[in-house]
Amino acid sequence: MSYKGLPEVVTRRRRSFWESAYFVEICKGLFVTGRHLVRNLLHTGEMPTVQYPEKRREYGPRFRGRHRLMKRADGSPRCVACMMCSTVCPADCITIVAGEHPDPAIEKFPKTFTIDLLRCVYCGLCEEACPCDAIRMDTGIYEIAADNRESFVVDKEFLLDNDKDGTL
Amino acid sequence: MATLTIDGQLITVPDGTRLFDACREARGEDLPHFCYHPDLSVAGVCRLCQVEIEGLPKLTIACNTTVRDGMVVQTRSKRVQQAVQQILEMHLINHPVDCPICDQAGECGLQDQYMAYGLYESEVAKADKVRKAKVQVIGPQVILDQERCVLCTRCVRFCDEVTGTRELGIFNRGDRAEIGVAPGRRLDNNYSLNTVDICPVGALTSRDFRFQKRVWLLRATPTICPGCATGCNLRADHEGGRIYRLVPRRNDEVNGPWACDLGRLSYKDIHAESRLAVALARGEGGLESRGWQEARAELFGLLKPGGVAFALADPRQSLEELVLFKRLGLRLAGEAQLAGGIAGEGMAESDGILLAADRRPNRQALRWLELPEIAPARLAETLRGARGTLLVFGGDPFAHAEIAAAAGRLRVVYLGTHLNATARAAQLVVPLAAWAEKDALWVNGRGRIQRGQRAVAAPGAAREDWRVLADLLDHLGDSLDLPGLAAVRRLVAQELGLADLDVLNRLPVGGLQPELPAKAPTQGE
Repeated sequence: MSYKGLPEVVTRRRRSFWESAYFVEICKGLFVTGRHLVRNLLHTGEMPTVQYPEKRREYGPRFRGRHRLMKRADGSPRCVACMMCSTVCPADCITIVAGEHPDPAIEKFPKTFTIDLLRCVYCGLCEEACPCDAIRMDTGIYEIAADNRESFVVDKEFLLDNDKDGTL
Repeated sequence: MATLTIDGQLITVPDGTRLFDACREARGEDLPHFCYHPDLSVAGVCRLCQVEIEGLPKLTIACNTTVRDGMVVQTRSKRVQQAVQQILEMHLINHPVDCPICDQAGECGLQDQYMAYGLYESEVAKADKVRKAKVQVIGPQVILDQERCVLCTRCVRFCDEVTGTRELGIFNRGDRAEIGVAPGRRLDNNYSLNTVDICPVGALTSRDFRFQKRVWLLRATPTICPGCATGCNLRADHEGGRIYRLVPRRNDEVNGPWACDLGRLSYKDIHAESRLAVALARGEGGLESRGWQEARAELFGLLKPGGVAFALADPRQSLEELVLFKRLGLRLAGEAQLAGGIAGEGMAESDGILLAADRRPNRQALRWLELPEIAPARLAETLRGARGTLLVFGGDPFAHAEIAAAAGRLRVVYLGTHLNATARAAQLVVPLAAWAEKDALWVNGRGRIQRGQRAVAAPGAAREDWRVLADLLDHLGDSLDLPGLAAVRRLVAQELGLADLDVLNRLPVGGLQPELPAKAPTQGE
């Protein structure tokens, strides 16, 4: 197989004497490092590194953080358990069990609504699929940490009361 | 024969054919419709199947028109499309569009039609819609939502024409018109769930299936109803190893497009608490669970030729299983100590529509295989003085107190699906697959062999019945070479005396009514 205009064999560029001697190259590298060090020491305000967790980067309003479930005026979930989000979810991380609501005007509601945050890929398709604007990813929470896997499976109550505290 | 032109295509159909059916044949798909159903009378109320016929000034509905020789019909012209779009808009004026909470979403006529002919810009504000009653429980199986109804009257016609019970009707007029139950009545007949199937929208929904699963997540497997000797063709809709509903499959030779509620709810047994998932053997503290190898060794120990007092099967077992069981029974117990079931069990009234008097799916197979049924009293008498092992394959003979009492001194080996009275009294219980968990053949009361496929996996260590029986036969030295189900079916064909041994491996979708040799006459239902 050959492609017109392309050499069939790629020949490795030969190192020059100074390159293979290493010493000059090491000095060049150290010079770059030193340049950054001096510049950061002189202009500390322009340092690209953030002093996390004391300081945090600003994210745009459309940043997709941890999900939350929206509430109706009476505090019950807005979700009607239509399963659009769990159907569209590419990671299959949303599990909903639907139930019969006593109010015939609402009719269907989620008995359970769990999201496995470890499986979630934060693509935001669930938000987009939701016909009731019941699930949003606008909390801005991106620090999702726990010391056991079970804690990452969050339930309806957690999602309805999703505060800015990152701990699970 | 009439030759007509549909969308520029010449087509010849028998005289008297409905234009609707001719259009389906020519187009390869149905015309948009709600009210037309091939098994019900024509109502012509939804006005969706409009077509343009040359020579007629106005559009005509195809469902209420009979074909005429030389007809020239347009089904996709601009005029037709515009008409369908306008009619669909009319249908949707008062529709609540609550698809997110509607169980019909995904298999809804309105949704399908709207994708093809939608106007997409509603001229009616949601607040101006006529509100009607929602979540009306109108019977033990059905919930009515009057807002979603498009008044196609399919359900009304079904109750008038198929069941003859006439529970439903249309009440009031104009935009107040609604489907309702006749005063003082409930939609309480054994076929009420068919109204849910034929409802093109989500007005009638099943109470059993309600909110259990979204329909697009379900996978379908063709099965046969285990409820009675009719053997209705069903489709098992399942997901994640669970069956969520059974709906009828059309088979004009057996059940048409219908199935009874009793049969449709028969899937509940499969997921019952009492399903056996592990082998059990009697130890010091009663029944204890056993690994498959241990149970197998114990099974071989208990079932020795000459040591088996009686072998009893059940007409709820499939044709292949009964053939293998007969072979096994003859080897272990002999012809006099072998029965295919308890006589008279599962006999009730027929309802004259689909539900047969014989509530067992495979009694006809027992007749074909000449496996006699035994009366409970006679079986009790036979067992009373006997010693050794009682082999029970399916069913629950110990539900009869006299049999349970008479078998007190026998060691019972139970091959079955549920932890019932027989299993509780057994020395060894081997878990088997239930009807929807195995690929099996069933013989209905009219002698039609039908194949039900495996919809879900059997729980735990439960195995397909034929594998257990073939394993036993192999151990007993019956040198049958049965590497797979196809080989078992060849054996069945041989047992039935069918000329073509592979005929059961190539069963048509609708089943097969074989011509059997004279020795096994087909009896009534």
